[in-house]
Amino acid sequence: MLRITLAQMRRSSGRLAAAGIAIVIGTAFVAATLLAGDVVTRTTYDSIAARYADADLVVGATIEDPVTDVAALGEVDGVDSVAPMSASYAELSAGARSVFQTIIPTADDRLMPMVATVGSMPTQDDEIALPQDVAERLGVETGERINLNRSVPAEDGSWEQVTVRPVVVGILDDPYGAYSQTGGAAVVDADTFATWRAEENGGEVGAEEVAVAVSPGADVAAVQAALATAVGGTTDPEDARWVVPTDERAATVAASLTGGQDLVFLIFVLTFAAIALVVAGLVIANTFQVLVAQRARTLALLRCVGANKAQVGRGVLTEAAILGAVASVAGVLLGTALGQGALWVAGAMDLPVPLPDSITLTWQVVVIPVLVGTLVTVGAALVPARVATRVAPLAALRPADAPSASRRAGRVRLVLSMLTAVLGFALLGLGAALGTVAQEPTFGVLAGIAGGALSFVGVAVGAVFWLPKVAALAGRLVGASGPTARLASANTLRNPRRTATTSTALLIGVTLVAMMSTGAASARTSLTSALDEQFPVDVEVSSSTYDEEGARTALSDGLRADVSSVADVAAITDLTDVSLGVPDIVDPDGEPVSVDFTALDPGAAREVLNAPDHIDGLAPGTALLGYTNAESLELADGDRLTLTGADGTATFSVAVNEVEPYVNYLAADDLPQVQAGTVVTDMYVALADSADAAGTVATIQDVVSDSGESAQVTGIAVQRAMYDEVIDTVLAIVLGLLAVAVVIALIGVANTLSLSVIERRKESATLRAIGLSKSQLRGMLAIEGLLIAGVGAVLGIVLGLVYGWGGSAAALGIMGDVTLTVPWLDVTLVLVVALAAGLVASVAPARTALKASPVEALAAD
Amino acid sequence: MDTTVFVPVTDTDTPDTGRLAVRARGLTKTYGSGEAQVRALDGVDVDFAEGRFTAIMGPSGSGKSTLMHLLAGLDSATAGQAFLGSTEITGLGDKALTRLRRDRVGFVFQQFNLLPMFTARDNITLPLELAGAKADREWFDTLVRTLGLDQRLEHRPSELSGGQQQRVAIARALIAQPEVVFADEPTGNLDSRSGAEVLSFLRRSVRELGRTIIMVTHDPAAAAYADRVVLIADGRIAGEITDPTPEAVLAGLDALRSLEGPVADDAAQAGA
Repeated sequence: MLRITLAQMRRSSGRLAAAGIAIVIGTAFVAATLLAGDVVTRTTYDSIAARYADADLVVGATIEDPVTDVAALGEVDGVDSVAPMSASYAELSAGARSVFQTIIPTADDRLMPMVATVGSMPTQDDEIALPQDVAERLGVETGERINLNRSVPAEDGSWEQVTVRPVVVGILDDPYGAYSQTGGAAVVDADTFATWRAEENGGEVGAEEVAVAVSPGADVAAVQAALATAVGGTTDPEDARWVVPTDERAATVAASLTGGQDLVFLIFVLTFAAIALVVAGLVIANTFQVLVAQRARTLALLRCVGANKAQVGRGVLTEAAILGAVASVAGVLLGTALGQGALWVAGAMDLPVPLPDSITLTWQVVVIPVLVGTLVTVGAALVPARVATRVAPLAALRPADAPSASRRAGRVRLVLSMLTAVLGFALLGLGAALGTVAQEPTFGVLAGIAGGALSFVGVAVGAVFWLPKVAALAGRLVGASGPTARLASANTLRNPRRTATTSTALLIGVTLVAMMSTGAASARTSLTSALDEQFPVDVEVSSSTYDEEGARTALSDGLRADVSSVADVAAITDLTDVSLGVPDIVDPDGEPVSVDFTALDPGAAREVLNAPDHIDGLAPGTALLGYTNAESLELADGDRLTLTGADGTATFSVAVNEVEPYVNYLAADDLPQVQAGTVVTDMYVALADSADAAGTVATIQDVVSDSGESAQVTGIAVQRAMYDEVIDTVLAIVLGLLAVAVVIALIGVANTLSLSVIERRKESATLRAIGLSKSQLRGMLAIEGLLIAGVGAVLGIVLGLVYGWGGSAAALGIMGDVTLTVPWLDVTLVLVVALAAGLVASVAPARTALKASPVEALAAD
Repeated sequence: MDTTVFVPVTDTDTPDTGRLAVRARGLTKTYGSGEAQVRALDGVDVDFAEGRFTAIMGPSGSGKSTLMHLLAGLDSATAGQAFLGSTEITGLGDKALTRLRRDRVGFVFQQFNLLPMFTARDNITLPLELAGAKADREWFDTLVRTLGLDQRLEHRPSELSGGQQQRVAIARALIAQPEVVFADEPTGNLDSRSGAEVLSFLRRSVRELGRTIIMVTHDPAAAAYADRVVLIADGRIAGEITDPTPEAVLAGLDALRSLEGPVADDAAQAGA
């Protein structure tokens, strides 16, 4: 039987190879993920271990009872040198720039992970060595002095700033990334460090950890025991005081640091790998179904000559197992190559984190993907294998027509899938309601996830019932355009099960992509509108100095012109702060109150504000009061308010601001009536939509600094850009991972088409004989590809939108009105990619179909 | 369309209308090269008159199918010429051949070759659809009535008997009113009753509807339905029978077989 199976595999090698690619990609994904997890763990370990430099042993103590006399450890027999593993923090500044930096003490070369590339390590109490990028950020070189601000407890228990001015004596490199997580560490002389630390802690403090370098030639185990005795501890790291080898300590710290995280990372990415494998399974199932249908006569012949059902079924499964194993091994090789390639690329990119030069192949990386890939393939072949056992021996004697492998899908399946889908969507709706109406995001998200997963299973399992109907509808739509399209749509429908499986494979990937894009777009929109409500302008430039009378000084015309001419600044509007008396209202002391107003040009301001409703109701002749202020002044909409300034008195109509509590606005044109000669103290700046917020704000800051005027630059633009970036990055990663599933599904489309073409070889020849031109035949297959891909993509997008909206409502309802956004760009992109791939998928099958000469239509068989 | 009337050159059987539907001159087809070369057709000259039902007969491997492929523009000739009406089809490109097949030639296949996903009606009108033309209502009704398909138009091929399927195929071949219909063993997959029915329909198509049909067959009984039988052996025209009876055809075939022996020997020696 095995010989027959192998012979059949050779005959169908092309088909199998195409299906195998799906498994190759899926398993490569799994292997690469496992490798990446390993790299993360190892990188963490390496950077932890690097802090101990070349230490042989680590001495540890508790924070309550630290090792106080570190130097005494150096006297223990066989110990070469010791260094406390302590760090302190200080603000370093030079000119206007400052950074908050980790500081460590100097140590023996063997215990110092960093090296001075320029200059030397500090030896005096007024010397410091800086990491290269810190020196660059501060703009200092060796020989220059910097400010170092430390917080030291004062007598009265408060903190006071102590500033020293050390000279930079060395520029440091951190070749092993020991301090890459804290952005490098500055180094000061060990004695100075100890003094500072004592000052900061109000007395001498010990070290919780001490790195120990053993003398060359000394017995490490003996030294370990001697040290344990010296500190009154043991060699068991569970004890209060312990002495352990460095690698053991590093492993413990690394595990405690990443133990949870790298598992979460693995599970997160492996979820996507699982999705990719499910899609691959669908592609495999399809391929085997067609193979069994094509081989029906051979199988029947085998039954005729004495093979029993079990043997036939086993033959199919053996074939699947061989394909799965071969493809999985190829997948592991591909995944390993990708992992190594990624490391080389990352290595060449000079990242701050030193990555390992090569991947480490563990048994898990090899065995897990091969096992999973083979299981998925065999699992996918189970149904086709059962179909194969149903081929009657009699079929061998029947003429040509290949028996159809498609069964009528069971009623139980229909009912179950419908129930699951309805229940799932109801749960999703409940989740959305919980999130928005009940403001219970936790339960909402839980219900939403459960509902989404449940309904999707229902939809996917029931696809065989409803997907062909949708395809039929789409087919009728395109069929109206001509005979080629009509042929194509009829072809898509002749094998509903196959079309459904192929489209479902694509549907899964596209749904998830659309869901993620929609969710991200909704999150971004909701977040943006929430931020806009809170912070109405992108950037605000405010004068920060006061004249003798306590009024703020003006922003000069020159500065305002310079700011408005910064690239990507879309618009600016000027603000004038003024304090006006209200003669009609008196405070409890009987004095007339004064109210602060901000005067601006309402028209120009609406252009600049992100939320123009912030100044709704402001017009010449109106005083727009913050709602809290209006309440305390006991004023309401339409009341009259008389205001007195240095140059006159005028009466305004009151409008109460619904959104802003404290700021009161006047129209700039009204200001001269009460007070002339006012100055512009602030300006609102709107950035262009396309602007790089962080860069533009930095430029504005530079413009302000260069002007020499004292002004503050604040605003939400940078924060918003940061949120956007986080959302975009997460989205990009997730979409990248999902793309694998979509690619596999598209391979499935190509595979299905080429299988159909082989089945219909004679039919293609007939069509050619009765007058179908080559381009019409090509067109027919192209439309078939478009239909299969298009139906999967469109349905996936619709489902994805529903899930994205449901999820957003459940999760973001608490933030206020959830904006249900359609990410048109992403949706269009997905559709275009799917359709283009559907077209491309038809190219190779069309070439095969065109090879069929019309003469074949006349051939007897 | 060219309306030049061709004067028959070697025709021995003067057609009723005096016009020729299909002509071949020195038509040759070889497969392979060198020692393995096979001459499937060897300089065939033959004419087929308009409005007649002609059968091409010969033993297996005689070249009768190859002759039909070349005459129908399905395959390209090695040498010689084939004409459909006044158009020389040898040397036409694929596009022109496709148009020619679509507009001027009909086919009936041994295995019916209907599209399984289309109804009988859709199958019949498919050639017109491909050409982007509208079906001539009256002609469609005439065909369907003549072929007895009135009650079967909305059925799919899988719901039709073999005979019915072949009748649908005949209607499909005739719907575009082609100049000639080629039928390749049209009764090869049918029982004798259905076969006889189909052959009667083919003959009625010629007599009543004025069509031209060229049928390849190896069944003397089928050939007897034709107006004329062209016998072919070893890639050459070996004779012909006008107004055949099954007995006359059988006799003709027997005569061919006696020729075959020495020819086969020659071929074996050439191959050695």
